[in-house]
Amino acid sequence: MTHVVSENCIQCKYTDCVDVCPVDCFREGPNMLVIDPDECIDCAVCIPECPANAIFAEEDVPPDQLAFIKLNAELSLAAGWKSITKRKNALPDADEFNGQPGKIAALQR
Amino acid sequence: MTDRALPPASHDPIDTDAVVIGAGPAGLFQAFQLGLQGLGVHIIDALPHAGGQCAELYGDKPIYDVPGIPVCTGRELVALLLKQLAPIQPQWHLAAQVQGLETLADGRFLLSTTSGAQLRARCVFIAAGVGAFVPRMLKIAGIEAHLGRQLHYHPADVDISAGQQIVVHGGDEDAVAAALRCAEIHTGARVTLLHRRDVFNAAPDMLARLQALRDSGRITVIAAQIIGMEEQNGSLAALQLTDPQGAAQRLALDQLWVYLGISPRLGPISDWGLAMERKQLLVDAATFSTSQPGIYAVGDINHYPGKRRLILCAFHEATLAAFAAAELLSGAKVLLQYTTTSARLHAILGVEHPASE
Repeated sequence: MTHVVSENCIQCKYTDCVDVCPVDCFREGPNMLVIDPDECIDCAVCIPECPANAIFAEEDVPPDQLAFIKLNAELSLAAGWKSITKRKNALPDADEFNGQPGKIAALQR
Repeated sequence: MTDRALPPASHDPIDTDAVVIGAGPAGLFQAFQLGLQGLGVHIIDALPHAGGQCAELYGDKPIYDVPGIPVCTGRELVALLLKQLAPIQPQWHLAAQVQGLETLADGRFLLSTTSGAQLRARCVFIAAGVGAFVPRMLKIAGIEAHLGRQLHYHPADVDISAGQQIVVHGGDEDAVAAALRCAEIHTGARVTLLHRRDVFNAAPDMLARLQALRDSGRITVIAAQIIGMEEQNGSLAALQLTDPQGAAQRLALDQLWVYLGISPRLGPISDWGLAMERKQLLVDAATFSTSQPGIYAVGDINHYPGKRRLILCAFHEATLAAFAAAELLSGAKVLLQYTTTSARLHAILGVEHPASE
């Protein structure tokens, strides 16, 4: 079991979550973060930090976001996706993309 | 009598009233409260020191919500809890993980640890937090087959012979220390320090020693990631690497020592047949008993309606669990006594009891 970053992180990548993670389990891609399920300890402190409300406990992932459980596991091992432990600036148009539907199409791996 | 040697004494289980699994804040305060109930306590923890998450994850971070302590770091809180616990004189089993827990016919519990200890306890307190802190593993398919022979996680020392190619993998102080130790003690070995980038996190004097050994050619540093392995006749022959520019490389080796830090793993607790929800042990919030009478769970590892994973809540849970266990073991109601006034508690704590007028 783990926590999962869902679609609304894409093109926003606020990174507030990484500052509070006690086990440094976030991994960074070009326009999204994911959680390494092997490292997450389910402490849940990242959930309220996300301005995009994109993080869920695995059991609470909404039905239309279930694919992200597998995607987080996959991308956390993908080449080029590196550990991120310090907050940085969000992507330039984060506030505009926050809440937009269909962002999965824009995911860069 | 036969002249067959008796089994070593260490094989006989040690009898005790209580075993506490986990030496984080919940486990330490649990042991203290059991001591106040007059019960003997053994404490087991996977790490070589007490503190759990407070030491590993929040060692230098401030905590502001422990009642009566406006601010302290994780490490400071552990030091205070250990000082408070000292008069109880618990028996320690550090750097040991609980392997098995079985219920005996007489209702007691038999616990075995990875260090070979066997403990026979009348009650057990699981204060295991988010799991035992164990070395982070390499994520290379099949490499675990070499564990203990050519692959070692955080080895204290490993027998190596001259001419062997030792690869130390990691970038923190433990990794640097291992590479230095290996190059300085085993002068015949060829030592490679492998990390994803050529930046190491260690004390300045260690970095200076590393540089000196690099200059003299006794340590080679490679900045690359492991992407695969090559086997030959069942042995680990080489690692397949990719450097930060994406170029592939092959590194032959005899021994791989891995220092990727530690992370918590729940371990065998989920195999003990106790009722769980998600990764938590379900408890009765009046007694903090699990579904098995005599086994209690306190701190981050338990769940009950209204649960909050806070240190201060764990202190409450541990206190009520100790009372519940004392009543279960004695079969009688345990009366409340204050540490401010009780002669019995003063004797346990080794503090002066004011003489009656």
